[in-house]
Amino acid sequence: MREAARAYGQAFREARTLLAYTLLVSLTLFILAPFAMIALRSVGRGWFGKRWLPPELTLEWYRWAVEVGNIPEVLKNTVIIGGLAVLISTAIGLTAGWAFGRCRLPGKELLMALLLLPLMIPPITYALGVARLFYALHLVDTHVGVALAHVAVCAPYAIMVLSASIEGLDERVLEAASVCGAGPGRRFLHVVLPLLLPGIVASAIFTFTHSYNEFTLTLLTYGPHTVTLPVRTYLAVGDGYWEITSAMAVLMVIPSLLILAVVQRRARPERLVGGFKGA
Amino acid sequence: MIELRGVTTRYGSVVANDRLDLVVRRGELLTLLGPSGCGKTTALRTMTGHVRPTEGRVIIDGCDVTAVPTHRRELGMVFQNFALFPHMTVADNVGFPLMIRGLARAERSQRVAETLRLVRLEAHGAKYPRQLSGGQQQRVGLARALIYRPKVLLLDEPLSNLDARLREEMRFEIREVITRLGITAVYVTHDQEEALALSDRIAIMHRGRLAQLGSPEEVYGRPASRFVAEFVGLSTFLEGRIERVEGGQMVVAVAGGRLAVPARPGAAAGQPALLLVRPNEIELLPADAPPGDGVLDAVVEAGTYLGDRMDYRLGLPGGLRLRLQAGVATRLRPGAAVRLRIPHGRALVLNPSDDAA
Repeated sequence: MREAARAYGQAFREARTLLAYTLLVSLTLFILAPFAMIALRSVGRGWFGKRWLPPELTLEWYRWAVEVGNIPEVLKNTVIIGGLAVLISTAIGLTAGWAFGRCRLPGKELLMALLLLPLMIPPITYALGVARLFYALHLVDTHVGVALAHVAVCAPYAIMVLSASIEGLDERVLEAASVCGAGPGRRFLHVVLPLLLPGIVASAIFTFTHSYNEFTLTLLTYGPHTVTLPVRTYLAVGDGYWEITSAMAVLMVIPSLLILAVVQRRARPERLVGGFKGA
Repeated sequence: MIELRGVTTRYGSVVANDRLDLVVRRGELLTLLGPSGCGKTTALRTMTGHVRPTEGRVIIDGCDVTAVPTHRRELGMVFQNFALFPHMTVADNVGFPLMIRGLARAERSQRVAETLRLVRLEAHGAKYPRQLSGGQQQRVGLARALIYRPKVLLLDEPLSNLDARLREEMRFEIREVITRLGITAVYVTHDQEEALALSDRIAIMHRGRLAQLGSPEEVYGRPASRFVAEFVGLSTFLEGRIERVEGGQMVVAVAGGRLAVPARPGAAAGQPALLLVRPNEIELLPADAPPGDGVLDAVVEAGTYLGDRMDYRLGLPGGLRLRLQAGVATRLRPGAAVRLRIPHGRALVLNPSDDAA
């Protein structure tokens, strides 16, 4: 009798494991399928969806993307704008983070919620307003302008990560620095900054990634000199060249994957965002 | 050398320091002793400048530094949780104050090596704080605080994060280093044994005020109030009444017996008196000992075995209770009648209207 019960238990556990794996594989396929389709389309010729796989494989679409789509220049724009967005967001994150992490402010939670608002409202709702303002300020089609628009959605992440890092700083260590003779400036340079470096790196990664992927705000503030990768891909869709668009999309994903690979190996973001106390 | 003059610090309705007047003499080690919340840490942090007093002045070496920021006060501080810079090596930690002051690298290395030798850590210069034990980390903290010869060394419960045995070793080491350098030091602790062992003078604090300031012998032997008597060393109290005052003595009737003690100023017959006795100074007499000055009868209520001694609770006539410590050989059972004597001069009269703990 007991033998039977044990056998049933075993079978049940095995079935559950099988179910778990099936779900996992299905989910993975579900997520990866669109990318797989795009990747296939970017190397196929004469593929009109009637067969599972493209009949011929070619790399000409990539050549088209680079030559006609002007990818190198677009990539340069994306990186410059991303870099500027990171710089500005980090500055905002450090200053706001210092206030949130170390000062007693009345209504701190409310203030924090307000600063996170851009993340909760679809960018399209305020992108139009931003565009009008930028036209008046002659910021349209400038790298700084687009970067500033990105800061609206990037800075909140920087503030969140950096205020957590700053809160995790040991107060006594900072006091020790001041007793040893370091004024506020030197204390920041020699003690605060080195201790915050992991947090700043984490914040930079988040910020850059969000700027890199930002579409709506870029669309309404860009011009011929500041075409970014997401915008270029969208324009290619409009032109109807699915193959070239697919090639651009693949090119767009590669840098993200590289950053992800580096980050996962060197500094695990999940740990960094969680603050330092005890980490 | 360092002085708090009329320092009062308020946090909302809480008064952390209340009209504190304290002068630390050059070259002495003064301990701020008291229970949690008594204001000793606030007083120390007022000296460093991390706390701005609501009223009062801080004076270092004759100069009023109340408005001077922390980093310009030329003080050294050792922290309870060590507060070492985790991203720097031991050598860089210790050399940090010199680096800030712009000393050349060569001279810096030499001074760092010297100071590390002083705390017996010369072999650990290249290590990081996380690679060191608690005791070693605290020695690094001490080295870092001393390397630039500060005017005053401040220590905020430096041994509280170490285990008991290490605490005793480190106590001697810290005292030795301070004495060798002849530096003025202010030490904060809640451990009265530590305070008695280390200090030249002890300032006992209670609810933001100074309860007593004196040498360890004064504070233990002649406590100024019931609070001080209870906080430093073991104590047991008896309430009695003054029978008569003659010469410099007064005779107090207590628990069915009589005691002659030095007279308190303003004493008069009929007044209540509170006597303090140290439990380990009461003598147990054989049952047939003659009655006399300071001899009392009591009944044992309970006895606790403490390994090296017995701790008895005794009941006395009039509902009074006494605590007595005696050798393990005595082995008295509850209910036993005993005769004991409070030796002449070992009972202290306290002001009965004093602020109790």
